[in-house]
Amino acid sequence: MDESAAIGLACDALALARDAGAQSAEASVSIARRFHTEARDNVVSRLEGSTGKSLFLRVFHDGRKATLSTSDLSRDGLRGAVERTVAHAALVAPDEYAGLPDEVAREEAELRLADPQVALREDAEKVDEALVLERLIRAADARVTNSSGSHYTDAVAVTAIANTNGFAAGYGWTRAGRSTGPVALDGAVKRIAQYGTAARHLDDLEAPDSVAVTAVRRAVDLFGARKPPTMRVPVIFERDVAASLLDDLFAAVSAANVAVGNSWLSGRIGNRIGSELVTVVDDGRVAAGLGSSPFDGEGVPTRRTPVFERGTLRSFLYDTYYARKLGAASTGNSTGGGVGPSNFYLEPGSMSLEELIAATPLGVLVMDTIGFATEHASGTYSRGARGFFIEGGELAYPIDEFTVAGQYTEMLAGVDAVGNDLRFDAPVISPSFRVAEMTISGN
Amino acid sequence: MPAAFDEAFLGKLVGRALRHGGEFADVFCERRRTLSYRLQDGRIHEASYGVTLGVGIRVVVGESAGFACSDDLSESALTKAADAASLIARAVPAGEATPIDLSPARAPSFYDGNSADAIDARRYVAMLEAADAAARRYDPRVVAVNAQLSDELQEVWIATSEGRLVRDYRPLITFGVQVVASDKHERGSGYVGDGGRTSIEYFDRETPEALGEEAARIAAINVAAIPAPAGEMEMIVGAGGGGVLLHEAVGHGLESDFNRRGTSLYSGRVGERVASELVTIFDDGNLREERGSLNVDDEGVPGQHKVLVENGRLLGYMQDRLNARLMGVESTGSGRRQSFRFAPQPRMCNTYMPSGDATVEEIVASTQRGIYAKSFAGGQVEIAKGDFVFMVGEGYLVEHGKITAPVRNATIIGNGPDAMMKVEAVGNDGRLARRHYTCGKGGQYVPVGVGMPTVKIASITVGGTQHG
Repeated sequence: MDESAAIGLACDALALARDAGAQSAEASVSIARRFHTEARDNVVSRLEGSTGKSLFLRVFHDGRKATLSTSDLSRDGLRGAVERTVAHAALVAPDEYAGLPDEVAREEAELRLADPQVALREDAEKVDEALVLERLIRAADARVTNSSGSHYTDAVAVTAIANTNGFAAGYGWTRAGRSTGPVALDGAVKRIAQYGTAARHLDDLEAPDSVAVTAVRRAVDLFGARKPPTMRVPVIFERDVAASLLDDLFAAVSAANVAVGNSWLSGRIGNRIGSELVTVVDDGRVAAGLGSSPFDGEGVPTRRTPVFERGTLRSFLYDTYYARKLGAASTGNSTGGGVGPSNFYLEPGSMSLEELIAATPLGVLVMDTIGFATEHASGTYSRGARGFFIEGGELAYPIDEFTVAGQYTEMLAGVDAVGNDLRFDAPVISPSFRVAEMTISGN
Repeated sequence: MPAAFDEAFLGKLVGRALRHGGEFADVFCERRRTLSYRLQDGRIHEASYGVTLGVGIRVVVGESAGFACSDDLSESALTKAADAASLIARAVPAGEATPIDLSPARAPSFYDGNSADAIDARRYVAMLEAADAAARRYDPRVVAVNAQLSDELQEVWIATSEGRLVRDYRPLITFGVQVVASDKHERGSGYVGDGGRTSIEYFDRETPEALGEEAARIAAINVAAIPAPAGEMEMIVGAGGGGVLLHEAVGHGLESDFNRRGTSLYSGRVGERVASELVTIFDDGNLREERGSLNVDDEGVPGQHKVLVENGRLLGYMQDRLNARLMGVESTGSGRRQSFRFAPQPRMCNTYMPSGDATVEEIVASTQRGIYAKSFAGGQVEIAKGDFVFMVGEGYLVEHGKITAPVRNATIIGNGPDAMMKVEAVGNDGRLARRHYTCGKGGQYVPVGVGMPTVKIASITVGGTQHG
């Protein structure tokens, strides 16, 4: 992939924006070649490969902002769309905070975002990988009789950003992933699980046999699951579920939500919110991190921002607009159109998940959740869940069809043990952790 | 129309895709334009324009599909995409590419739309400002109003190896208002959305003021709401948005990909009793103006009215072409895709339950201890075992036959067939919900509709925090 092609397209769009009357503008272009294959049993059920381009443009005129997102990069198509975008800005209210960033990235950053091996892989090799996963899940347990498919995906891409203040830069990146969805039969009950791994470098992917074993374990370990009683208990969130709580936490510290009153953390910078164990960081410079980049969607250099330090809320995460609006500085978290995470994570502790369980006389291990009901204004959390009941520091029996609920203020204050199993396999990640007491609702 | 969507060229492209063979192939051409305005802090914060233009090419061989897409509409790029899609059949050596003769097919229209290109954008702005003002007027505790109006036109041209060429022109308007209210102690939020495959005149009937007031009303109720109870109790599912329950508890499990593959708990159960006799469920692509309606689906098959469950008995699945073929039935016009970048999947359109006999008053009076959920923030299902959740946006406690306190939003969890067997009353007030729901499956998002009368479920697990 050629960075200069992407930078060229971005600069073309800026010229068109100027021609159309915009005072300033910023364009970002990504060009990606994506591959996806799915196997089921011994059949290759999907084979998809395409190269796609997309352009995102922001134009500013007298403090009025309009945006364009388009896949039509033909000369005439782009010109027409840019003219319409500039015309639409006329109806937007002037806003003193709208505009290009004051500071942009000046230096290169070596973040190991691209693995040259990804582009060199043969299709046949990738297809084999999905077929192998199908064999591995069936070999791992005789009760695995079916699957929703095993997948291999990858992308080889470049991203470029340019603005009318003279900034123009790009970087290449890759990503690869393998995942599988075994279906196991437990009498009349079907159990499906989904597990996978993703990384920028092929060597950083979890090995196929380990992916298969974990996926199968998630399906068969729940055999015989029952509904737990309704009660208040300590709750351990396993790594992937813990990451989904960090997603909620990101929403609460995103300046875009704080500025419009849609965050339970509004106005609470400097307050002690969490326990001593709650140290949360957003770091755009983690080597080979899936949320890493040299600069954000506005060209602002990425950085490491402490968000919570030992329970105290230190900073929200900002793009240029919301930073100006809330009287802060950008933290390099612009996605171009909004505020997004880099690598956003809870600092790990020293205990393994097994040790966390052993240190819990009575409690619940949540391995998977469904639903997305978080009311961000009040910080109310509630999910459907499945996992294990813990008695005497051991997994006593599997449980499902229950909910786990709480208020984020109490949940963060109640974090009383943090695991050591943090992995940089997504932009928002977390080690397993335990909350001292939450309500589970079952029978 | 872009030159690449020309009939003769599309015929050549479909033929090219079948060079290695295959049961069928299709070419999906899309041009979509979306204009949206967003209001924040009482003023128009941003205008956005979006253009999606490209072609997706698919080749089906047995249960396998090859797919490639291109946003480059040059002949060479599209030919390359056809060749990439044909690789699914690469075990067979490439033969001569034989162009397919395409003949245009027509379908009736269920949309009430006119071109967004012709609308004076000042109307959108005035509507957003009216919703904002109405929300703030409604209650002094309203601290923030975020509103967005988006107006989209999706034009598709679908060419198939059977020689069909279908064009559809799909309008879609979405007007969403989110309100945050706050007193000294608590915050609460409310969301209302509406629109559909219709024109802006729809909002002369469903006014921006009414949407703003409704969102503010829900936000104000949630400020004063008490924490939701935890545990098993009776449940009254409100009319309209309660259809989210059908969508999750039953609908996804009846999509044909899961059933053909045997991964759904409803696999192989056509003809069996899967719900209370009071339960009948339709999925309909032919409802006027609804978000999930389709004149033709994304495989060129006309949208249909499907009876999924009748008086508790499972009658059939929602089919796309690939799965219908393998199951030996016809497509039900349920093949949908998010955009040209995706291969189609069997999906729901507008899923709803027709009215029964009970009155809402009878249903409330019959409830000793339960939750009455009036609006819904969404849901999710795990299709193998059938456990589903749905999230309450506006809910109330019901005690001894009377609605008492509002409760904070909570997740409700149940098992599809179990919850459907426990339906013990169906109200006479069936209606479609306000039109703002979007369904996600396998990374693809499509607009859908849901509908429901007021329904009583004998017991279900409510996931609040208040135990005992």
